[in-house]
Amino acid sequence: MIETSPRERRKNSQRAEIVAPRQGFRLPKPVRRLQRQAPMYALQAVGTLATRLRELTGREVIDLNKVMAVVQFIYQQRELARRGPNYAVDDFGFDPQWTEAFIGVFKALYRDYWRVETTGVEHVPATGRALLVANHAGVLPWDGTMIKTAVFTEHPQPRHVRALVASQFMGMPVMSWFLRRTGQAVGHPDDTRRLLERDEPVLVFPEGTRGTGKGFHQRYRLRRFGRGGFVATAIRARAPIIPISVVGSEEIYPMVGDLRPVARLLGLPYFPVTPFWPWLGPLGMIPLPSKWRIQFHAPIDVQDLPAGAAEDQHLVMALSDQVRDTIQRGIYDNLKLRRGVFL
Amino acid sequence: MPPFKPRRVLITGVSNPFGAEVARRLAPQVHQLFGCDIADPVSALEGMDFVHADTRQPVIGKLIRQLRIDTVVHLAVSIDSPRDERAVHETDVIGTMNVLVGCAAPSSSVRRLVVKSSQAIYGAGPHDPSFFAEDSINFERSASGVTRDLLELEQLVSEFVLRSEAAVTVLRLGWRVTEGTSLARYLSLPVVPTFAGFDPRLQLLHEDDAVEAIVRATADHHPGVFNIAGDGVVLLSQAIGIMGGTAAPILPPFGRWLSRLGLRLSMGVDLPAHLADIVAFGSVMDTSRAQTELGWKPSHTSRQAMDALARGKQVELIEAPSPPQEYELQVYLQQRRRRELRLSN
Repeated sequence: MIETSPRERRKNSQRAEIVAPRQGFRLPKPVRRLQRQAPMYALQAVGTLATRLRELTGREVIDLNKVMAVVQFIYQQRELARRGPNYAVDDFGFDPQWTEAFIGVFKALYRDYWRVETTGVEHVPATGRALLVANHAGVLPWDGTMIKTAVFTEHPQPRHVRALVASQFMGMPVMSWFLRRTGQAVGHPDDTRRLLERDEPVLVFPEGTRGTGKGFHQRYRLRRFGRGGFVATAIRARAPIIPISVVGSEEIYPMVGDLRPVARLLGLPYFPVTPFWPWLGPLGMIPLPSKWRIQFHAPIDVQDLPAGAAEDQHLVMALSDQVRDTIQRGIYDNLKLRRGVFL
Repeated sequence: MPPFKPRRVLITGVSNPFGAEVARRLAPQVHQLFGCDIADPVSALEGMDFVHADTRQPVIGKLIRQLRIDTVVHLAVSIDSPRDERAVHETDVIGTMNVLVGCAAPSSSVRRLVVKSSQAIYGAGPHDPSFFAEDSINFERSASGVTRDLLELEQLVSEFVLRSEAAVTVLRLGWRVTEGTSLARYLSLPVVPTFAGFDPRLQLLHEDDAVEAIVRATADHHPGVFNIAGDGVVLLSQAIGIMGGTAAPILPPFGRWLSRLGLRLSMGVDLPAHLADIVAFGSVMDTSRAQTELGWKPSHTSRQAMDALARGKQVELIEAPSPPQEYELQVYLQQRRRRELRLSN
């Protein structure tokens, strides 16, 4: 050690230079300041423009709420990028923060694209378990995303519905990653039971790919409801069953044909042919802007049934039929309420 | 009848850090501790008699009988081995068979048997449920590699349970990420190639919890099969982030053997087939049975196990800076001397 007086040390320390690690090229300071404040200026400009236009034309030209939704979306994406690996997912791989950051996209589809009208969402309990059962149609499971969006945005107590998907989707790249991240699980009785035991609202489509893969001429007609496995699971878990009728999902991809050999080759349940797919390539994957209605029916309580009721095949099938009839009737009712396919 | 307490215990496969830790924990609890392995033990342990023995030879049975062993802790089951598949099969299936034959002999004094198995027995695929329970195994299904070996192993064990009076505990240990395991090596790469479009859930087991489970199963009467793994899950991308690497989703998700070959040739990383499936689809076990019946509770979550590995990496970086080499110092001193000479001239 070299002995130095306090005075000398202070002198040296003043001379010391703080060396920050240089990170390549940096823009000049005023430009950086402008960069930082640009979003604020832009928002102010849009606000002024909206006011001017309103004064000029006498009606709302720029919807500031929508602008704010876009801004919020961008902000949430930045937050996601910033958190790095410091977040927690549940045992199913569900990441609520990530899901909520992307729900803006689905909200836009929900409000502006398909103009979904939802009724009876209050039938979904604010807390505790519930088994939501819906009809399934429209080639790709957009109906699942819309039911999830409906419960999250319209319910007084926003909840994340956990849908069960066919295991084929879990083997697909990107699809499996997205489904897991947003809280979906495999359509396996074991998964249903575990989710219900965690007091989650669980969404099932008993029709499965039989429903999504049906032709356009069979629209609005429900397919067979499997062997009623969902009813047995609900009885065992003592969860109310909430039937849901979705109208509108049938028209998003009018499926006029099914190329079975191609589907078998690709390992898919079906290979749809619509007026736009596969002729227009990726453009054919854009769903049509049909008008949607979603109705949540009154819950069917199975809590009071005896424990052995789940093994009673007769009772299970009867309940399954009851749920199916409720959904089917709901579809016809909502079709009458809808003015037209695209209106 | 008073409850059985293990007195003369044999640990197979003791010569690795994991076996050594189990032996260290068991030594004070038992009367006489024996350990056997084909390699020398990693650390000397007072109170343990070490025997050079290979479970793949029938001699192991003789050893069990002549040492009058009453509890066998069978850890000589290799899951994550750099050796070839043939050797793994020999160790896992033939080795276990020899041990079981030794335990089943008519004059055998073995009353308790603890077998180490692995999460690898479940395999991983898109059609599996989100959680594997102990009874959800189909022993008839076709499998390959380690998964097939483990299925055969547990089949042998379950047959042994039927004809023997000894209490048998099978522990399916989750994936561990201590230094040197294939999974840890893979996750520690600076750029980690992953399967495009997949971000599976990983469930990890901390070494301490694994040891605790084995010790618990050995000390008390807990027959049955148990899943042993940490609480919670981490996503693959998260694990890579924790390790400070970058995920590169470049591997095609189909034809995984080709990706594995490519990894080995280009980066020197050996990703066994069962791990490739894990990295694509993930595998999570339900550990509730172990928590209720075995009374074992993981003290580390999957996330903490991952953090522990990351910390280990940092410590290594700080503690082992490369020292200046002899030659470089000489060059430096020479240059200095020359400069001084020039200045004085």
